[in-house]
Amino acid sequence: MTRLIYGLSRAMAWFGALVLSGLAVLSVVSIAGRALSGMGLGPVPGDFELVEAGTALAVFCFLPWAHLKRSHAMVDLFWRAYPPAMQRGLEIITDGLMLAVWLLLVWRMGVSLLDYRSNGEVTFILQFPVWWGYAASMLPASVGCLAYAWRLLESLGLAKPPAGFERAAAAH
Amino acid sequence: MDPLTLAIWSFPVLLVLILLRLPIGLAMLVVGLFGSWQIYGSASPLLNQLKNLAYGQFSTHSLSIVPLFLLMGQFATLGGMSQALFKAAEAFIGHRRGGVGMAAIGACAGFGSICGSSLATAATMGQVALPELKRAGYSGALSSGLLAAGGTLGILIPPSIVLVIYAILAEQNIAKMFAAAFVPGILAALGYMLVINLYVRFSPGSAGQIEPMPWRERWQALAAVWPVLLIFGVVIGGIYSGVFTPTEGAAVGAVATGLLAWQRRGLSKERLREAFESTANGTAMVFMIVLGAAAYNTFMALSQMPQELAGWVGDQGFGPYTVLWAILLFYLVFGCVMDSLSMILLTIPIFFPMVSGLDFGLTPEETAIWFGILVLIVVEVGLITPPVGMNLFVIQSMAPDIRIRDTYRGVLPFVASDLTRVVFLVAFPAVTLFVLRL
Repeated sequence: MTRLIYGLSRAMAWFGALVLSGLAVLSVVSIAGRALSGMGLGPVPGDFELVEAGTALAVFCFLPWAHLKRSHAMVDLFWRAYPPAMQRGLEIITDGLMLAVWLLLVWRMGVSLLDYRSNGEVTFILQFPVWWGYAASMLPASVGCLAYAWRLLESLGLAKPPAGFERAAAAH
Repeated sequence: MDPLTLAIWSFPVLLVLILLRLPIGLAMLVVGLFGSWQIYGSASPLLNQLKNLAYGQFSTHSLSIVPLFLLMGQFATLGGMSQALFKAAEAFIGHRRGGVGMAAIGACAGFGSICGSSLATAATMGQVALPELKRAGYSGALSSGLLAAGGTLGILIPPSIVLVIYAILAEQNIAKMFAAAFVPGILAALGYMLVINLYVRFSPGSAGQIEPMPWRERWQALAAVWPVLLIFGVVIGGIYSGVFTPTEGAAVGAVATGLLAWQRRGLSKERLREAFESTANGTAMVFMIVLGAAAYNTFMALSQMPQELAGWVGDQGFGPYTVLWAILLFYLVFGCVMDSLSMILLTIPIFFPMVSGLDFGLTPEETAIWFGILVLIVVEVGLITPPVGMNLFVIQSMAPDIRIRDTYRGVLPFVASDLTRVVFLVAFPAVTLFVLRL
C-alpha cells in the first residue's frame, strides 16, 4: 500500500508536469497560428479554456506529492524548541486538518460536478461540458485524499514512508 | 461575536497556527472557512461556496502563468545558462577587486531575466558560483551572503511570480508592472555589486582575484549567452508590446527554455524528472497558499474589515507617507518569519484599498504600480533576513561547510543595500515610473 500511494503520487506529479508542458506547446502553436492568420491559419480554438482546465488538472496532480514531500510553505522558527510530544501532536493535527479540509472540498467538488452534469452547461467556445473539467480533476483530487489519509496514519505511527524517502529540507 | 471582532481576532489565531508550523495555506484555509461559517450563521451558504472554491481557483486563467513560469525556470536551469552567464561575466570583470562576486551578481541578474522565481535563481546560481568563489579565495560569509542576495534578483527582475500575483490582486496590467520593475531591478544588481566592492575594500582578506582573460576569450564567453538575451527579449518584449498575453508569454518562455535545454543535452531522463518534481512542488506550494488566501479573503470581505480599516485610516488624517512607511515596515518585520507570497495574498486585499485612497501626487494607476514595486522589494528582503530567509537556507544546504552564523553576517550588508534602495524609490517615484511615462 505504501508503495502504491507514493508511486501513484509521484507518477501524478510527472503526469501533471507533462500536461503543463503540453499546455505550453499548445499556447505557442496558438500564437503562431494567430500570427499567420493572413495565410489562412488561426489560433487554436478554445486555447483559453483548455489552459484553464489543464492547469486545474495539473495542480490537482501536484498537490498529493507536495504534501508527502512536506514542501508546502511553513514557518519552522520555533519547531525545534517544541517538546517531542508536542511535535508529534502537531504533526497529527496538521495531517488530520489537511485530510478533513480536502475531504470537504472534494465532496463539494463532486456535488458541483453532478450539478453541471444535470444542467448541461458547456464552455463558451469549444462547447465541451463544464463537468468534464471537474471530472478530470476529481480523480487526482481523490487520490490526494488517499495520500493525506496515509500521511495521517504515518503521523499516528501506524504506517511508515518507503525506505530512503527524503522529505524536502524543512526550511520554508 | 460580530463579524468585525471575529475578523480582528482571526489575525492572532492565524499567526499562532502558522508558528505552530501548520502549512500557511492550510492555516488560512481553516481559519477562513471557520470565520465565514460563523458570519453566515449556518453551514449551507458555506457549503455552496465550497463547491467551486478549489476548482475555481486552480482554473483561473491569469494564475496559470505561475506554473508556466516555474517550468520555464526549471528548463532554464537544465539549459546550463547559469554557467554560461557566470563565465561571461567573470571573463570581463573577474580580475577586478571583488570581481568574481560581482560576476556572480551579474549572472544572477541575467538568470533572473529568464526566471521568475527567487529560489530557483539562488539554487542554480549557488551551484555554479559557490565552487568558483571558493577557488577565488572568497570567505564563506561573503559568498553565501552575496548569492542569497543575488537570488532575489530572480523576482526583482521581470518576469516575476510575486509581481504577477500582486498585479492580479490589485487588478493592474502585468506588462506595465514588468516594465516598471526593470529599472529598480537593475538598481538592485548595481547596489549589490557596490556592496561587494565596499566589503572587499574594508575586508581585503575576504576575497581574491583571478587572472585577466584575453579579449578573444571574453568575446567568446559573451557570445555564449545569446539565448538568454533572445528568450528575455521575446518573452518580455512580446508581453509588453501585446503580441501575446502574459500567460502566453510564460508558455513561450517555457517552450523556448525547454528547447534550449534539449539542444544542450540537459534533458536526461533523471534530470527531467527532477525538474518536473520541482515544478510540481513549487506549483502545489503556490496554489495551496492561493486556495487558503481565497478562503481567508472571502471571510475578510464578509466581515467588511478591509473597508472599515481603510475608512478608519482615512479618518485619522495620517499623512500618505506615514501610512506607506507603516505598511512597508510591517512587511519588513513579518517578512522575517512569513513567506513572501502568503504575505502578499493575505495583505494586499487589505492594504491596497488603503493605499489607493491616499494622495501621492500620482495617478491611481501610477500609485498602484509604484506601491507594487515597493512591496515587491520589501517582501523580497524577507527572503534574505535571518532567521527565516528561504534563500539563506537554499545556499546553506549547498555549502554545509559555511556556518549559518557566517551566512547571516555576510548577508547583512546586502539587506542594508535593499533598505537604502527602498528609501530612494519612495523618495523618487519617477525612478520607477518614468518608463511608463515615455
